[in-house]
Formats: sequence, structure tokens, C-alpha cells
Amino acid sequence: MTTSGDPSAIMVRGYLKRLRANWPALLLPLVAAGTLGLFDAQLPRLGVILAVLLAALAPRESAKLAPFAFFGYGAYGFFLAHSIAVRESRPVDYGLVHVGPADNVPWVLPQAFACLAVGVWLLAVTGAPGGGAVRRAMAQLRGTDGQPRTVPPLLLLPVILLWEEAFSSALWFTGTYWQSPLPALTVSALIFAAGVAAVVWVPRAAAVVAVSGLLLFALGGGSLCVHWLWAAGLPLNSLHWRVGTMFYGAVQLAGGLELRLRGGIGVPLPGGISGVLGAAQGALLLGFGCALLPRLLTWDADHQLARHARALAQRVEGLTRSRTDATEVAVAELRRIERDLHDGAQARLVAVGMSLRAAEQLMIANPDAALALVAEARETSSRAIDDLRDLVRGIYPPVLADRGLADAVRALALDAVLEADVGVDLRGEPPMPVAAAVYFAVAEALTNAARHAGACAVQVSLEHADGLLRATVTDDGHGGADPARGTGLAGVERRLATFDGILAVSSPVGGPTIVAIEVPCALSSVKTSSS
Amino acid sequence: MRVVIGEDLFLLRDGLVRLLSAHGFEIAAAVGTAPELLTALTELKPDVSIVDVRMPPSHTDDGLRVAIEARRVVPGLPVLVLSQYVEQLYAPELLADQAGGVGYLLKDRVFSDAAFAEAVRAVAAGGTVLDPEVVARLMARRTRSGPLAALTPREREVLALMAEGRSNAAIAARLFVTEKAVSRHAAGIFTRLGLVPSDDDNRRVLAVLAYLNS
Repeated sequence: MTTSGDPSAIMVRGYLKRLRANWPALLLPLVAAGTLGLFDAQLPRLGVILAVLLAALAPRESAKLAPFAFFGYGAYGFFLAHSIAVRESRPVDYGLVHVGPADNVPWVLPQAFACLAVGVWLLAVTGAPGGGAVRRAMAQLRGTDGQPRTVPPLLLLPVILLWEEAFSSALWFTGTYWQSPLPALTVSALIFAAGVAAVVWVPRAAAVVAVSGLLLFALGGGSLCVHWLWAAGLPLNSLHWRVGTMFYGAVQLAGGLELRLRGGIGVPLPGGISGVLGAAQGALLLGFGCALLPRLLTWDADHQLARHARALAQRVEGLTRSRTDATEVAVAELRRIERDLHDGAQARLVAVGMSLRAAEQLMIANPDAALALVAEARETSSRAIDDLRDLVRGIYPPVLADRGLADAVRALALDAVLEADVGVDLRGEPPMPVAAAVYFAVAEALTNAARHAGACAVQVSLEHADGLLRATVTDDGHGGADPARGTGLAGVERRLATFDGILAVSSPVGGPTIVAIEVPCALSSVKTSSS
Repeated sequence: MRVVIGEDLFLLRDGLVRLLSAHGFEIAAAVGTAPELLTALTELKPDVSIVDVRMPPSHTDDGLRVAIEARRVVPGLPVLVLSQYVEQLYAPELLADQAGGVGYLLKDRVFSDAAFAEAVRAVAAGGTVLDPEVVARLMARRTRSGPLAALTPREREVLALMAEGRSNAAIAARLFVTEKAVSRHAAGIFTRLGLVPSDDDNRRVLAVLAYLNS
């Protein structure tokens, strides 16, 4: 590593980094160089120097300028191609086409197309003005709002067909100069690629274009046919007839062939052949359009249904999972209760019975021993009650049943070994199972705060807003809790998940630890309280 | 001494009647629902009453609410509340009127009938008797701030026993100190809690209330 302290080295590195981030700026001088042949004056050279200076001094601004430069250059290309087509052929300087033989001229058009494409791409990439709109439009058309990204295969064909039809180079730029087939093929390939891209990236828009276009072109075919039937008397080489037949798919193709064979311009096929071809093609397109139309009309509904189906499938999956969890939790809970009863109260009651039985037998012979046994039995029954009391607290805390969630949480705070501050904003009572789940979640959080966080005080808040019951427990401990480690919170989380509730723990090292619980639920009317 | 008993479980009610009768109490009424209990308490104005927290009709804390309501109508009406569970929440609610004559015990304290009868008498005399479990949980709480933080450990011990309703003599016996020492500790507690000299019983109630609300 070079001396990192050297300020000039740092500056150079920073500049290179800036330049790398704004690489489209480097394209600006390139475009400027392309305009060299525009005029004979020194002005274009000045433009190149300015562009280099601009890119070097203000890379970020230059990068944003780049797409517009490409648009301008593309537009110039179209103008050039058009003027060449309608007027004369002369050697031109455009991009890679320089002064040279006239058959280089057709390369102007592909380059103009490419410039426009690069411009649009740069617009989205550089964040230039208008780039946001391009990105938004692409995102929307691409279907981020739930549209599937799979391509309807049926669409591919008509879209490409129409694309060729609508943007056919022969339509806009008469085929006079297409001596070499390569430029025309390149243009066609570009158009074809654009059609495929449209189907893949903007299926919705492509569908609209395809269907409306198909129907329109079908009409065109129909009109051709009608024209042929009714205007059979018109001279075959009238302008009207020529324009009608020149640009109609198969007709055009056949016409072009004929044209090529005859070596002339504007000599159409015989009306009969054109008419039959036009009618056939029109009928084909009509059929295609009609087949696609229902699909277009139900496009939104289809996507909405698909979205709902996906959402429902997810919901079902979530419910299945949480139901399994809930069942497991319930079974585990029942097993715990069974075990506690078996080892606790039940065992103690057996002991009580045995003590009393022994006392019964000793009553006459040894009254003192009998008395001691009775006292022992009483003591044991007292413990059995303690056991049962603890058990019941763990099943459904009596204070929750008596007073509802708010007071139950207050009671929890009073029982906590920490100083607990409770803030409640509830204007009603959540459903009992939800209340119990939240109660136990808060209880677990309080226990953890006291046991692991080394906290002295906790804040508990409980509120209900926008259909969400929210509880947070914030302690002043040392933080650094890992919710994945303990099993307590995981159990609480699963229990909450049954009600679509969530639990989140934030515990940066150094504290504070915040446990947040959220459960969607509605509140019923306020429980009356004696206080 | 006339007693009203509010307890919905027949076996327990019957047991309480027998136990208290055996200890020389006169049973003025023994009822099983909250409305009946309220009527009995406000009309008979017994010397002391035994009230179960959970009672019909709603089987939640009806008994407790009746006790508080009755004390609102008849200020200072001595009430000993019994429950299967002790809740930290309920004791301050019962003591809130600062009138004394309040007890809050676990139901199974009736097993030791003599101690229970003594607690009933203490409540009847205007004392405050809190269940040792309530007190134990209060003791477990870490206190950083508030007036209780200023108490010495010995004073806290004395205050805890005071909350259980024990007299100075009983506290002295329990802590193996002289009664005079207990009086001194009590005076220290009252001073630190900012309780002005007045009727000693009332100050004890206030001290316990401060303890509960800490």
C-alpha cells in the first residue's frame, strides 16, 4: 500500500474512484467525436475538447448528460437516414460510417437505433432526469406489482410479427439503398430483439400492442380484399393501390420480391394476388387477435387471482405451521400439568391418606404419635394446596380471569423482583387466549430481565392501536441477549404465532434490552374493575 | 363478636362457621353470593367479616369488590379477605381507604385455627393483617428508590412483621429483642416514612400501605 497519509495520493485515488462511479461521462467525448463530420468548421473539434474537459472536471454531471447526447446523436442518425432515403445518396460521416462508398450509408439506421437504445439504458442507469420515470415504468410494466414474469408463449409470435410490421425498415426508409442485405438484416434483428424484449419485460404492454395491432392489421387485410373486389376496375398502377398493397406483410414480401425481380420501384403485384394474400393474412391476424383478446381482457383479473392464490397458499402454510405449533404447545402443556399433578398434589394427597390411615391405627394405642401424624397430614395437605396454586397460576392466572390483562400485567409488575413501571393504554379487553399469551410473554420477559440482564428497573407498556395489541418490556440491564439461545422466548413466540402475533428482541451490548410483542386483535368492552 | 361470612363453597363456609363458633365468635350471617354479602355487610354491620375473593355471580373478584364497596358505605368495616391466591394488586386496593381493619390471607391459613382466630380478632380491632406470602414477595423486591430504600434491614424486618399484623410484643418475641427495641424501630420507620405522630394503629396502617405501594 502506498503512503496512505500522502494527501495527493489520496486525492488521485478519490478522483479515480469518482470517475469509475461515473463511467458514462467518458462516453460524452466519444459522442462529440461522432459529430466531427457534421460541419466542416472547427466547431466540432471544439465540442470534443469541451466534452473531454466536462467529463474530466464534472464526471457526475457529464454522466447525467450522456444519455441525452446519445438521444441527440440517434435523432440525427434518423434524420440522416431519412434524408438520404428521400433525396439522394451521398457519403456521410455517422458514427462508424465515414466518408466512403455509398453502400455504407445503410449502416446509419442500425447505428441510430443502437444510439437510442443505449440512451434509454443510460437514462435508467445514471439517474439522469427522466431516469426515475423510466425505471418506474419498467418496474411497473415488468410486473413488480404481482404480475408473473413468465412469458405467455402465444404472445411472442404476434408481437414480433407486428413489431416487424410497424417498424419495418422498408416502411419508413424505402428499400432503394438496401443493395447489401446485411444492414437490413441487422435492423430486422434489432427490431426482432426489441419485440422479444418487450414480451419478456413488459408482457402487459406487449399484450395490448399485440391484440390491438392484430385487430387493426386484420382490418387492413379486410380493406385490401374489399378494395380488390369492388375496385377491380382501377388501373393497377394507381398510387392509391400501390400504397395500399406495398406495406402489408406477405403482400409486401411478395411485392418486394417482384420489385427485386423487375428492378423497379412501386410496381405492385397484380390486384388479385394482393387481394387474396391480404384477405388471407387479415383473416389469420383476426383469428389470432380474437384468440388473444379474452386473455387481455382478463389479464388483471388473472393476475389478481394469481396473487390471491399465492397469498392464500402462504397463509395456509403459515396456519398449518402455527396450528402444528399450537397443538405441540398444548400437548407439552398438558404433559407438564399431568407431571406436576402426579409428582405434586397427587403424591401429597396419597401421603395425607397414608398418614391419616396410620393415625387411625395408632389412635388408641399411641395417641401422641397419632396426633403427630395428623399434624403431618395437615402440613402435607397445605403443601398440596401450594402445588395446586402454582400449577393453576401457570395454566390461567386467576388475576387475569378476575381483572383482565391490564391489571394482570400490573400484578406481574408488583410481583417482579425488579422495580417495574407499568403504562397501560387499553380501552377494552383482548380475547382470553390472546390475553393469556401476552401475559405469559410479558412474564417471561420480566423473568429474563431479572435473571439474565442484570437489570434494576423495567418499563412495561401495553397499548392497543390500529387493531394491534402491543406490549413492550424495556430493562436497564447490560443487553447482549440472544433470543435464539433461550427456550423460554421461543415457546412464547410459538404461542403468539398462533394468533399471528410476533415477538422481537432488541438487545445491543450495553443495553437496553427491549422485548416487543405485537398481536393483531380487537378489544371487547372494558372490564369493570373495583379500583 | 358478630361475624358475617361470605363464601360460596358450602364445605368451606360450613367449616368456617364451625371454626369461628368454636373460638367464641357469633355468626351473624353466612352467605354464598356477592349481592347477599353486600346486603348482610351493610345492614348487619358486623364486628368483623370473612370474605372470599371469588364468588358468584361472575366468579371473578366479586367478593373483593363487595368488601371494598361495603367499606365505602360503612367506613372502617373490618374485613378479612380470603383467597386461594394472593395478589399483590389486591392488598393496596383494600387498604387504600387507610381506615385499617383489613386482612388479606390465603385460604389455607384457616388450617391453623388458633392463628386464624387471632388474625380475625386483630382485623376486628382495626389492625392490618397481610399474608406472609404477600410480605415475602414484597421483601424479595429490589428497592432502589422511594422511602423504603432509606430503611435499615432491621427496620424492614420489623415493617414486614407489622404488615403481617403482629403486635410489638409478637415482633419482639419473633426477632428475639425487647419490646422497647421494637418500639424504637417502629418510631424510626414512621419517621423515615414521614408519618406524623398520631394514633399508633393508624400509623401502622399507613406504614404498611407505603410498604405495599413501594
